[in-house]
Amino acid sequence: MNILVCVKQVPDDYAEIRLGGDGKPATAGAGTVNNAFDTYALELAVRFCEAHGGSVTAVTIGPEGAQSGLKNLLAVGAGKAYLCAASGEADEGGTAALLARAVELCQEREGAAYDLILCGKESTDEISGQVGARLAERLGAAFVSGVVEAEPSGDGLKARQETEEGGVVYEMSLPAVLTIAKPAYDPRYPNIKTKMAARKAVIPVLELGAAEPALVSCLGYSEPPKREAGVVIQEKEAAEAVKKAVVMLAEANVL
Amino acid sequence: MILSEKHQMLRKLYRQFAQDEFTDELLDRLEETGEFDRAIHDKMAGCGFMGVKIPVEYGGSGGDSLAYAMMVEEFARVSPVLSIYANTSNSLGGGPLMFCGTEEQKRKYLVPCARGEKIIVFALTEPGAGSDAGGTLTTAVQDGDCFVLNGRKTFISGAPFADYAIVYAKTDPAQKGSKGISMFIVDMKLPGVSCGKPEHKMGIIGYPTSDIILEDVRVHKSDLLGPLHKGFATAMKTLDGGRLGMAAQALGIAQGCLDESVKYAKERKQFGKPIAKFQAVSFMIADMATEIEAARQLIYSTAVRKDAGDPDSSKLCAMCKLYAAEMCNRAAYKAVQIHGGYGYIKEYKVERFYRDARITSIYEGTSQVQQMVISGSLLK
Repeated sequence: MNILVCVKQVPDDYAEIRLGGDGKPATAGAGTVNNAFDTYALELAVRFCEAHGGSVTAVTIGPEGAQSGLKNLLAVGAGKAYLCAASGEADEGGTAALLARAVELCQEREGAAYDLILCGKESTDEISGQVGARLAERLGAAFVSGVVEAEPSGDGLKARQETEEGGVVYEMSLPAVLTIAKPAYDPRYPNIKTKMAARKAVIPVLELGAAEPALVSCLGYSEPPKREAGVVIQEKEAAEAVKKAVVMLAEANVL
Repeated sequence: MILSEKHQMLRKLYRQFAQDEFTDELLDRLEETGEFDRAIHDKMAGCGFMGVKIPVEYGGSGGDSLAYAMMVEEFARVSPVLSIYANTSNSLGGGPLMFCGTEEQKRKYLVPCARGEKIIVFALTEPGAGSDAGGTLTTAVQDGDCFVLNGRKTFISGAPFADYAIVYAKTDPAQKGSKGISMFIVDMKLPGVSCGKPEHKMGIIGYPTSDIILEDVRVHKSDLLGPLHKGFATAMKTLDGGRLGMAAQALGIAQGCLDESVKYAKERKQFGKPIAKFQAVSFMIADMATEIEAARQLIYSTAVRKDAGDPDSSKLCAMCKLYAAEMCNRAAYKAVQIHGGYGYIKEYKVERFYRDARITSIYEGTSQVQQMVISGSLLK
């Protein structure tokens, strides 16, 4: 099965992001990483191909610097990678349109169509969770969200979706788009050899052109409210401290 | 030294692995049980760490000494004991095979060690032959196609779970001191090989150390490693590489001490302000950081010079080990001092670092042996 995994570069999850002077998140110093859910998607794809055969290709829309993110994916099982360049600000619909174009261009280069396209269920920066579904709509493909397991089923595919209550198993025809939630395993580590090999890889850059005009625009961001300072009870004896705490709770009408 | 893009990338890989995989839970378990953890060993092996310095054709990753030193440093920064897990196959265990193993020996022993499928340890020290390795009493007497080994090796890191040991034994009793010693690859499952009880150590807990007892062990002559009677030269060459690794371990421990000290000094308040605001504390931190950086530059440049065949590399490796180990002990002392009473409590990382630091000036040649090597090369 030919699998394409769409990967977004996001600010490093470990970095603390604050709003900058322009009212937008100041991400410049944070460093970028591959979106965690997209790395789960890649691992799922690689495991799928290890078990059932096939190829995994990764694609990212982003600046030249996104090459390093793609090289990281080549070191953990992606067979090929493409970087796509686009201009203009895209909303979720626009991003899906660009990705649909990217799928088309990648398929042209490969001379074969993708059977399965995977996206993370959301990106850890904007967390809109829309792009996978919108991409499926553009491609006219089957779609299931929040998938944690997938296996071949006849000419199609069986996928298990994780829900709050448990799970649902779906069967679908191909091509299909799945968005991937956190599976029961973690993405593999690169080893030194694959890392070294990936470092030397040449990643083709495909031009997507301009994004469609955005239908939705962001008016502004706000930071979560700061936590108010708590009250510290500093009695020496535990019994005294408890007594004081109980009085305070009673005064606040909590008890 | 400015690191190449390749080395920067490797450092990132090591650091990420250590941060993600050396969890507090794992480190506490190692400390409590004192036992070897096969699962983390296998995970390291999967990433190619067991063979970082072993050539690609023998199952390794083909890295250089700098790539190896940085790995040990980054691992020791989080867990000194786990830095040893990935160290041995690249240094004392694999070293002698890389230096003088035959093609057949390399295929049979080095390849599985590089992949982490087998574990190989280095058995030189004896109860009466520590710094004076020339005083080796273990004997190997040829008998037909075999050598018959008898003796006792002591403080052998990894012996209780090792598959193979590189054993040094006297093959020509007529030759004095370090002459007439040969190396053998001993399968730990051979009849007559046994291990003593694991030692109760001050630090590096979670990588058992014990004696190896050899009683009429018949080792086939194909497992003689290197030329007969000339094993000591290889031991010394192996120890050069080992010293660089142990210097890197000391560097990593010191860096871990600094990381914890900076964090704690900013958090801990006394007299109404963080203790970092007191010069007595901030100057200790400044000294630690300066010494750490000095050690790092010495180690990294030595790694590069060693690979380039610098004739001074034996002396330089000894300098690295001497300086880094002593520096590491100073850093660990300061880190506990900055932590005050909390530094004496096991819940704080510096307590473990302090105990782990102590061995760095002892094993693979004490600081005094390093001084002998350095002065010996200067005062020839």
